[in-house]
Amino acid sequence: MPSEKVEEYLEGIFKLECEEGKANVTRLAERMKVTAASASEMLKRLEKEKLVTHKGDRGHVLTARGEHMARTLVRRHRLSERFLTDVLGIGWDVAHEEACKFEHVLSPDVEKKLAEMLGNPSTCPHGFPIPDLDGKIAQTEIRRLSSFCASERGVIAEVDEEGPELLQYLSSLGLIPDARVEVKEIAPFNGPLLVKVGRSAQYALGREVASKIWMKQ
Amino acid sequence: MAESIKTQLSKLRDKVDLVLALAGNPNVGKSTIFNRLTGMGVITANYPGMTVDINMAVTEFEDHKIGIIDLPGTYALGAISEDQLVARRGVLQSTPDAVIFILDANNLARNLYMLLQFMDLGLPIVVALNMEDEAEKRGVHTDSGQLSELLGVPVVPTVATRGTGLDSLVETAVEVGLHREAYPVIPFAYAEDIEARVRELASFMEENLVAMPYGLSSRALGILLLEGDPEFAQLLSDGRVAPNVLSKVGELAAAIQNTHGAQAPLVISRERHGIAGFLQAEVQKQVEDMKVPLGERLWALTTSSRTGIPILLLVLGGLFAILFLGGGALSTLMDKLWNTYMAGPLTRAIFYVFGNNIFAGALKWGLVNGIEAALSVAIPYVVVFYLLLAVLEDTGYLNTVAFLTDRIMHRFGLHGRAVIPLITSAGCSVPAIMGTRVLSTRRERVIASTLIVLVPCSARTAVIIGGVSKLVGWGWALLLYGIVFLLVAATGMALNHFMPGESTGLVMEMFPVRTPSPVAVLKKTWARFKDFIIVATPIMLGGSFLLGLLYESGWIYKLSAPMAPVVQWWLGLPAVAGLALIFAFLRKELALQLALVLAAVSAGGSLLSFMNKGQIFTFALVNTIYIPCAATLAVLWKELGGKQALLISASTILLALVLGGLAHLIRLF
Repeated sequence: MPSEKVEEYLEGIFKLECEEGKANVTRLAERMKVTAASASEMLKRLEKEKLVTHKGDRGHVLTARGEHMARTLVRRHRLSERFLTDVLGIGWDVAHEEACKFEHVLSPDVEKKLAEMLGNPSTCPHGFPIPDLDGKIAQTEIRRLSSFCASERGVIAEVDEEGPELLQYLSSLGLIPDARVEVKEIAPFNGPLLVKVGRSAQYALGREVASKIWMKQ
Repeated sequence: MAESIKTQLSKLRDKVDLVLALAGNPNVGKSTIFNRLTGMGVITANYPGMTVDINMAVTEFEDHKIGIIDLPGTYALGAISEDQLVARRGVLQSTPDAVIFILDANNLARNLYMLLQFMDLGLPIVVALNMEDEAEKRGVHTDSGQLSELLGVPVVPTVATRGTGLDSLVETAVEVGLHREAYPVIPFAYAEDIEARVRELASFMEENLVAMPYGLSSRALGILLLEGDPEFAQLLSDGRVAPNVLSKVGELAAAIQNTHGAQAPLVISRERHGIAGFLQAEVQKQVEDMKVPLGERLWALTTSSRTGIPILLLVLGGLFAILFLGGGALSTLMDKLWNTYMAGPLTRAIFYVFGNNIFAGALKWGLVNGIEAALSVAIPYVVVFYLLLAVLEDTGYLNTVAFLTDRIMHRFGLHGRAVIPLITSAGCSVPAIMGTRVLSTRRERVIASTLIVLVPCSARTAVIIGGVSKLVGWGWALLLYGIVFLLVAATGMALNHFMPGESTGLVMEMFPVRTPSPVAVLKKTWARFKDFIIVATPIMLGGSFLLGLLYESGWIYKLSAPMAPVVQWWLGLPAVAGLALIFAFLRKELALQLALVLAAVSAGGSLLSFMNKGQIFTFALVNTIYIPCAATLAVLWKELGGKQALLISASTILLALVLGGLAHLIRLF
């Protein structure tokens, strides 16, 4: 059995690959809230265990085995979230943290029973897809707006924000699901995005805000 | 000074026949219309504890006296931010006879969103379709007749910057205000299941409530509650007044969420965007695919990742060059004019009237030297700065600056919008600290205010230029700026590190380039300058008078004795120079003027015979950093509270002493 820490890293790399197309040490360290040194050490360990490989400019990529493990974890995490919110009535905001602990203790049998009891849900309470038993993700891929490049376009899938202030402010600006967004420009030093919403409205969105907006094609 | 909105509204009501409210999104030309419709005599009012102001004025049209209320520009009419809350309360409490809602034709759908909210409230509305000329230039034609038909309210096309259509706008608004029953406003219907739930809630409230707050219709109140409006939920939270209303709201909101798979407020917002989008599609046609105008293509360079930063550096460099060269030249000119023509006669007049005594001497200080200070600092530097600021603001470039600097500001725990008050602070800390109101959290306001206090304002710049640059060398003046710049950066990073909390994100509308109207720029500059004069002049004149009194009576030397250890031993300055620093608390530029006088009196010559070059540098450095001036302290106190104001002041004194001492130490070796 891999340790909890290994599992967390696999999940982190998997999500980075989904959202940004690649996982490099810096972004992984940011995500795991550790120093770059410990992230790089962990990557070496994962490489030794043949869970990731290094692929030149694409950075570190999960091996088939690593990816399968990661998908299983994501499934367990999102199922746990559903269980916590739907059955126990715990709020969305807390569910994520709690599910981080839950996901590591589920055995395949419990996982199966849990999915059955919940009626095989397809998404987590935050609207993200739950991979099926083979780890396949049904829905079209969604990415954070913050991972977009200049002149990329897309449609808002979901705004991942619980606070009513920002959510309502964004919605009054027309930043709501199904709105068409085009990234016109990205400020230097990885700064805010200049986006065009609808036909003519243009906004500057800081990184934190843009990372809460999930986009589909 | 701002007064209570409620009192002012009722006063306004008594004076006029009709009240019109101006509403709309930010930057749609609302202030331009307000300024065009009204003359001088604008009253600014605010709600207790809130910082967003409402402007009101009285104007005459044909035979009617009309009160005009300028609501803050917002993107929606909710209760999620102070400006929205003030706009909504303002419009509900003023019960206007008609609301003039200004739409920007360039951004119709987004603008229509809030208009739909106004229509939900059932207010009588006249629409001003503004900036249609700009939209036409982009090849977008708007059918205002059709828009009026679809909305069921009068629509008047306007070009506010040129005043086109404004007469017809007011005429229509007066007509609607006088015959409200002839212009009923019928809100758009949302999806049938939502409407059914709104109806259920409305009839429940009609049975259970004695009256609706603000005389709203039960449908309007129902929608607000289903949108999760915190203000109205609070109003109805008292079970005795509104039994079970909130639990009914919760039940119906959950039902909406179940049907639509999203929270009720989002569902209603989406519906409204849907209607707005439909309306835009119906009334606006892209007549032809125009090429993007040259101006706009050039403007795009200002935000481009490659050219943005170089242009920013050029603009800021140009800004400060104009400020220092232009302001400096103006300052010398003012000084010369005052000393040649006014100072002599005024001094003689004072001594002629009061005789030659201590009081007359002090009065001469207060008036002659006080006004000189105002003329040589306030007018040249502050006016020039405000003028440049207004131009930057009205072209929309300040938003570009915020966009480009967001990343750097994050290192200080701020976001891009904080850069606007920080730039303002190079003119004067007072309006800059008031400008931090645009920041959303207290943490951000504290950090920004602290940094603003450290940025040399024009008065401190006058000391640095007049003292260090002129007498010691411009390289030293640059070094001083460098030290202060590092200090600001270090303080920002330290505050971000040690203050609890995180920085919020930037969400800001970006405008296409606009040609600023000279009238609007001058009006803005004048309004800001007036505020500055009101705050600064009494302190400047009174402070100079007090100083004169101490000086003429000889007390000034007695007072300097206890400070000698710090000033002489630690900072290495002449003991009396400490007095100049103390008095600079009144107005920072007094430090230099007083030092010049002290030099003349105690050393019998120029400043260089009183202090050597190193001493002048230390003197200017300490003066730049230690304690904000009296006016700044007052505004800090008002905006952040006494504790924070004193804490900031104390830290700056400590910083100034440490750096001043270091400068002395380095000089010794």
